[in-house]
Amino acid sequence: MPLDFNKDAYPEPPRQTPVVDKQTALPNPALILSKLFYYSVDLPVTTFREAVDSIQAKNKSVYYHQKFRRVPDLTQCQEGDYLCYYEAEMQWRRDYKVDQEIVKVVQERMRACHQREGSSYQQNCSKEIEQFTEVSKNYQLRYGDLGAYASGRKCLMKQKERMMAAAQTQNA
Amino acid sequence: MVGMSLLRSAAGIAARLSPLKTGNAATNLLARTIPRTEKVAVRWGHGKKMFVIKPTEYYDKRFLRLLKYYVLLTGIPVAIIVTSVNLFIGEAELVETPEGYEPEHWEYYKHPITRWISRNMFDSPVKDYEKMMAAIHIEKEKADMRLAQLEVRKHMRQRGDGPWFHIETVNKELIDTTPKATPDD
Repeated sequence: MPLDFNKDAYPEPPRQTPVVDKQTALPNPALILSKLFYYSVDLPVTTFREAVDSIQAKNKSVYYHQKFRRVPDLTQCQEGDYLCYYEAEMQWRRDYKVDQEIVKVVQERMRACHQREGSSYQQNCSKEIEQFTEVSKNYQLRYGDLGAYASGRKCLMKQKERMMAAAQTQNA
Repeated sequence: MVGMSLLRSAAGIAARLSPLKTGNAATNLLARTIPRTEKVAVRWGHGKKMFVIKPTEYYDKRFLRLLKYYVLLTGIPVAIIVTSVNLFIGEAELVETPEGYEPEHWEYYKHPITRWISRNMFDSPVKDYEKMMAAIHIEKEKADMRLAQLEVRKHMRQRGDGPWFHIETVNKELIDTTPKATPDD
């Protein structure tokens, strides 16, 4: 996870470190194994990482998130205005990618919740599950079976079919 | 001379009679007997020595050798370059765009090699977008002109008052109407 993740969406489970109440003189194997792991794996990896970070700190660069302006939709284009069609198509593709990432983030939250709760996930993370089912249902409705050659026009036609079906069920 | 041959023959008899005795093996030099191959002390040697006949491995070994050579010829420099870039020049960090600052097109990528490629080898995405729009515009103008040409053709052919669809006729002044000038001719 990156260092600046949303702490509310991924809450940490309560700590369950037991109180140490040693009643024997025998060494604790869990302690031995954890120390072994620490000295053989954790310490070398951490020192290497710190060394690399100190080298990289000298030439540090930054990158930005690109924000695109909104342009007129396909529905707001004149017929035959191919430039308007192209800009609307590019905007639709960017929105498609954004929607895919939204579904992935919501799914990731549900999986994290599942992992945290263990066997009682179905009752404890009902919010995440409900959010995920709603988001994926809407995604399927909007972009569902458009296929590999999906385009803004095909998506618009799908929306038209949905609206017609809704109107028919309303009238009938 | 004769003594030598006696000595030699004695050594040979001793070697043949009890060849495993250590003293007798050294008498090969004197005895000129061919040592039995399975009885000679050899490291790693046990069992009967075989001359294994198998098909040539030369071509296969040569192929694998050349494959490894040509793969590693560019593979090792690329691996060294990528490893050193990842170690010494780290990936970029994500920050908020400062007010009033327009980042260059390569400053939108994370990995330093991607940034380098975007800066030195590719056009900016804005320029690519504009190039595509220019191509679309040119094609649109071509299509419009073709449609207009068809329309004009249709009208000129129909009405006949335009510069196209002229059928060249003879000049009226060149016609000699004197034979039919008066009704009595």
